[in-house]
Amino acid sequence: MNDKAAQIFAETYDRERAVLPGAGGWLARRRDAALKSFVEAGLPHRRLEEWKYTDLKQALEKAAFVPAPAHEGAVVLPDTAVASAFAAIDRHVVVFVNGRHRPDLSKAVRLPKGVELHSLNDVLHEQWVKELVERRFDDARQSENVVDLNTALMHDGAALRIRKGVRLDKPLHLLFLAADGGASHTRNLILLEEDADATIFESHIGGAAAFADIVTDVALGDEARLSHVKLQDEGAGAVHLATLRTRLAAKSRLSSFTLTLGCGISRTQNFVLFAGEGAQAHVNGAYALKAAQHADQFCVIDHAVPGCTSHTLFKGVLDGASEGIFQGKVIVRPHAQKTDGRQMTHALLLSRDAAMNAKPELEIYADDVQCAHGSTVGELSREAIFFLRSRGIPEMEARQLLVSAFLDEALDLVPHEAAREALKLLAAGWFADGEGRA
Amino acid sequence: MNMLEIKNLHVSVDGKEILKGIDLDIRAGEVHAIMGPNGSGKSTLSYVLSGREGYEVTEGSIRFKGRDLTELNVDERAAAGIFLAFQYPIEIPGVTTMTFLKTALNAQRKARGEAELDAVRFLKLVREKAKPLNVPDEMLKRALNVGFSGGEKKRAEILQMALLEPALAVLDETDSGLDIDALKTVAAGVNALRNPERAMLVITHYQRLLDYIVPDAVHVLSGGRIVKTGGRELAHELEKTGYAAYDADAA
Ligand SMILES: Nc1ncnc2c1ncn2[C@@H]1O[C@H](COP(=O)(O)OP(=O)(O)OP(=O)(O)O)[C@@H](O)[C@H]1O
Ligand SMILES: [Mg+2]
Repeated sequence: MNDKAAQIFAETYDRERAVLPGAGGWLARRRDAALKSFVEAGLPHRRLEEWKYTDLKQALEKAAFVPAPAHEGAVVLPDTAVASAFAAIDRHVVVFVNGRHRPDLSKAVRLPKGVELHSLNDVLHEQWVKELVERRFDDARQSENVVDLNTALMHDGAALRIRKGVRLDKPLHLLFLAADGGASHTRNLILLEEDADATIFESHIGGAAAFADIVTDVALGDEARLSHVKLQDEGAGAVHLATLRTRLAAKSRLSSFTLTLGCGISRTQNFVLFAGEGAQAHVNGAYALKAAQHADQFCVIDHAVPGCTSHTLFKGVLDGASEGIFQGKVIVRPHAQKTDGRQMTHALLLSRDAAMNAKPELEIYADDVQCAHGSTVGELSREAIFFLRSRGIPEMEARQLLVSAFLDEALDLVPHEAAREALKLLAAGWFADGEGRA
Repeated sequence: MNMLEIKNLHVSVDGKEILKGIDLDIRAGEVHAIMGPNGSGKSTLSYVLSGREGYEVTEGSIRFKGRDLTELNVDERAAAGIFLAFQYPIEIPGVTTMTFLKTALNAQRKARGEAELDAVRFLKLVREKAKPLNVPDEMLKRALNVGFSGGEKKRAEILQMALLEPALAVLDETDSGLDIDALKTVAAGVNALRNPERAMLVITHYQRLLDYIVPDAVHVLSGGRIVKTGGRELAHELEKTGYAAYDADAA
């Protein structure tokens, strides 16, 4: 095997197999199979169509991450705007440090009846957990292969199940802190039964040179509603690989928003499978990158049944020598008539050295559908900057105003009002305190 | 003292000389009008005063309140009290008029070492300034100039002027595209700002505006030069005779 990074993961697996959660049960067999297929496929690289712009293999080889240590001592959350972004919102908080649940730092009390929130390792015997972990989405094999790595090595995560008709009383905030370098593999499972409702914030922070490998599996029952807001801002030496996979039953609704302030290299994958008619998915995001950051947003929406709606908008600003990527695909299966599918991506280059690659695609096999896709890459308008300055607004402030205005179009799609305002503040602050200047 | 003192001003754009030796003095409290054929350099003069990049002063000088204006950049000039109402105000998608106004006013206050206005006091002030200009709240909530009609854009420009209270206001064809009622509203807005400390330079093609905003002097700009200066009656004369007598080549 000439894939050194994959080999490190395989060795880790051999070493830890006996002590990984679920040893001896169905999960152990599933892990064996996942590791086998992960090793066969290897880590993805740029010769694969779906990884054309992100060489995960090279990045992981270079960094040669060993497993992150269990961090058991006291932990101080970083004193940054990102770390405290949701602090003012009344919410349940579950904290993970180096990928491990820390009940001592968490605060999820008096959950409503019908809301079951556990550490993944405590519910491995439950059937719904098995079903979610074993689920496959076969629309983008090259991108899903990395889920095998997660399945083989996952050591913790949050498992949330909300019973029929129950509404989570306040947002659940899953906070992931990389306190030390090294690889962590997290698996979150979310099951909303019929007509259940939840808002979940997921934030990934920490300055360590860590590899965060996160898979979040979601199943929405009929008419269930999930709003998922993910915020990511990690160290320059970190690699972030996150996959959100959602299966939507009839008339359910997903709203997913990702704000990526990046790390060294990030890849955010979003898979949506419509399995029941009349469902809606809003998959949106914004990203702001500087220096040598690289952020790849990958998104596949599968309209496998008729009458579903999917709207996607990603907007990004790129400064320094950063690189932004949007790859998206909307698949409309032959029987999926009355599909409404839209996918848009817009980027703003703030520096000559920044680059953007956008590839939105439509694969349509039905005829009675409404689909559109598009992408633009532009720069700040000099005329607009002049106009603002002519009213006394200094150049940097003028640029910030225009950058915020650009990102706000996407950020406005975050349904939770306080979260929306929190993300807008972060986006505005990104420019103010950063190299967010040419 | 002269608020604005322009001496032998030559300005080139993209290497082409557009203004070819302008002399113009405006004292505090005065309103001067500039008229002249299309392409004669009126907007160029306004842009030079605002400090727009690409407008190169190749000769001569501009002094504002005794100070060399060319030493200040665009936003410094605005904070120092220069305001240009644009002939073609541009659209700024995503920035609400309200946010824009607040950012501009507070930036200027900050530059002058004054305290910034909080949201409540700002709102009160904007409403007070917007009312006589018939600018409804609904318009303030929309992105600046986006989807505004021609007349609404011009009213928005005057609102900015009323709020920022500049020492020298340059109005570039603020009357074009206005219906009679809007013209009166805008003129009343401008007149409300006339005072002994403030000077105005009004660029227009029509004497009608000058019936409402009565100027102390009227200049004819042709071929990049001021070819004639007179009183308000000059505007009436031009209305009748046109600019033939001031043809750039003849001058
Ligand atoms: N970037 C440029 N390069 C070359 N020539 C230019 C440039 N910008 C303006 N000009 C020229 O300068 C001259 C003066 O233009 P200006 O806009 O100042 O005229 P104006 O008097 O305001 O006309 P109008 O009454 O039509 O508004 C015109 O001939 C115009 O074509
Ligand atoms: Mg003009």
